[in-house]
Amino acid sequence: MRILERRAAPAEGAAASALSTALAVLAALAAGGLLFLPFGADPFSAYAALFGESFLTWRGLGFTLLKAAPLILIGLGTVVAWRTGFGFLGFEGCVMIGAAAATWVALMVREGQILAGLPFAAFLPLAILASLIAGGLWSGIVGLFKSRFGGNEVITSLMMNYVALLLVQYLVSGPLREPGGLPQSPRLPRETWLPQLFDGMRANAGILIALAAALVVWGLLLRSRIGYEMVVTGLNPRAARFGGVEVGRRQFMAACLAGGLAAMAGMVEVLGLHHRLIDGMSGGVGFVGMVAALLGKLHPLGVVIAATLYAGMTVGADAMQRQAGLPSSIVFMIQSLIVLFILAGEFFRRYRLRLPGRRTASAGEGV
Amino acid sequence: MDVDFALTAFLTGWLAATVRLAGPLLLAALGELFAERAGVLNIGIEGVMLLGALVAWWAAWSTGSLWLGMLGGMAAGLTAGGFLGFMYVTAQASQVVVGVIFNIFALGLASYAYRLILGGASGAQTAVMFSVLPIPVLSEIPFLGPILFRHTPLVYLTALAAAVAWFVLRRTAFGLNLRAVGENPRAADTAGLDVTAYRYAGVLISCVAAGAAGAYLVLAQVGQFRETVVSGQGFIALAIVIFGRWDPLRATIAALIFGAADALQLTLQIFTSGVPPQLLLALPYLVTILAMSGLIGKADQPESLMVPYSRE
Repeated sequence: MRILERRAAPAEGAAASALSTALAVLAALAAGGLLFLPFGADPFSAYAALFGESFLTWRGLGFTLLKAAPLILIGLGTVVAWRTGFGFLGFEGCVMIGAAAATWVALMVREGQILAGLPFAAFLPLAILASLIAGGLWSGIVGLFKSRFGGNEVITSLMMNYVALLLVQYLVSGPLREPGGLPQSPRLPRETWLPQLFDGMRANAGILIALAAALVVWGLLLRSRIGYEMVVTGLNPRAARFGGVEVGRRQFMAACLAGGLAAMAGMVEVLGLHHRLIDGMSGGVGFVGMVAALLGKLHPLGVVIAATLYAGMTVGADAMQRQAGLPSSIVFMIQSLIVLFILAGEFFRRYRLRLPGRRTASAGEGV
Repeated sequence: MDVDFALTAFLTGWLAATVRLAGPLLLAALGELFAERAGVLNIGIEGVMLLGALVAWWAAWSTGSLWLGMLGGMAAGLTAGGFLGFMYVTAQASQVVVGVIFNIFALGLASYAYRLILGGASGAQTAVMFSVLPIPVLSEIPFLGPILFRHTPLVYLTALAAAVAWFVLRRTAFGLNLRAVGENPRAADTAGLDVTAYRYAGVLISCVAAGAAGAYLVLAQVGQFRETVVSGQGFIALAIVIFGRWDPLRATIAALIFGAADALQLTLQIFTSGVPPQLLLALPYLVTILAMSGLIGKADQPESLMVPYSRE
């Protein structure tokens, strides 16, 4: 007998959506809890330590906000691209490109260079602009291929990641290399570092930049005509075209904006955390940002919450590994399981379980 | 005379390394070809390769048997394939999203399981490795012998797999039906083909091949497990499929081109030259981007690639 039954219509509505998200989070936490057991740790106290460290201590919260800023920016890029129907996966590369652009501008502020003595208030807009343009051009190439020539953005953007990584590798082992040292750029002058939010807290102005960007994206995507056209393009390009929307142009715009946002994440990483350009420094953040965007239901506000949650989990994982010797990989599995379960949950919005003994009216028709 | 000798030595070394490095890439690409021909873009093979590498290392290290290691890698692939098949085909989630997230999950799982397996053991644990099996007579041919016929058995098996893949896709009813499902699932369904079954078959084949490719990396090239053992080679296999325009023979050529670029930059690091090695490494990616850009005509991808199918 069949135990799955197709629903007449998918369970729609906010309640079903919220319920399936909550269930997915709980299921992922439960599955993750099992992973603590072989290491002899009590799941409940492990979770308490995990979230307590990253959200309830001043020091941990600082690290959480530090890590949240780039994730929010990448997540926003994901929202813009994916809601416009542009299946961009090139955030990792854009992070590297943005980091390189910010490094380049910041190195010009050194003694004896053309921008020496530039005040921070003038430098920051310049750095933001440089990373926005660099990242926007980088992803704009993919956007142009898609909107102009009908290319496949999924594969091209994945490949662009490698080109970007190799480009930065070339920069730090050649033109931007610190004399004599490892393959990395010289340390950026202290005047170009993002200022800390409060004394003794690691969080810096990066989180403010990310929140401002969230506000801008929210306004653009959900409160403006252009944004409306972008969302309609993502929902149904054919209908949008009939409705007078220039689909190609909107997708190209989305591509540039998404890349620019991810590039700002690279800028925040360089100016706020590493203070130099390092080979391979993005380390997968571009992909985690996409996952956070999915958990945030591709809504700018949701992204801020989900990215902060994921950043906190990452920080807690590091602390957990340092203090209790538990592998931080557990947390990465939980992070991805949450979204995988949400996606699997879509299945249960279309089907319902039919358990033996609970007969329904249509029970007779099954095979 | 000396220059000729050095050139021959360089070419032999480079081309032999090309074949060696192309092997796992081709194996993964051949499997992915089946998934994509059935209409599923399985980006998750990157993660499946990693899981295959881990289980292969574990099986070979603990039993001392190479072929059990290989089987372990394939079993890991099969298990992952069952899960991915459910997500792609049954739950009809976005294939791109599922694949990307699965790769992150697999990285976490592999690193967790590796720590669990190692427990207290310290240092890297080396598994047994395939040794070179020169083919009698053929390996004695000047120049070509060392390039083509002095490799591990896995290289020969992969070449055989390419021929089998070509035959199955082109000359069997299964291959024809699989391609029909990837081109126009509705028509295939109307004609009585089980779209779901063929798509599952494509995903499972791709995952078993990816698991085997991961095992290949560990058992023939590295000998140990590391989290970085795959690092992007699954994505390169995706590029090879597209670069090879969804055909096993052209994919073989594509895999050799990618292998050659990789081998060349390794060789060039020994010699000092003016060309940045990153440029050589980037070339295959740039060519793939160009091939997929739409600039040089539409790549003839399966018509319903990435489109989930449901009856109503």
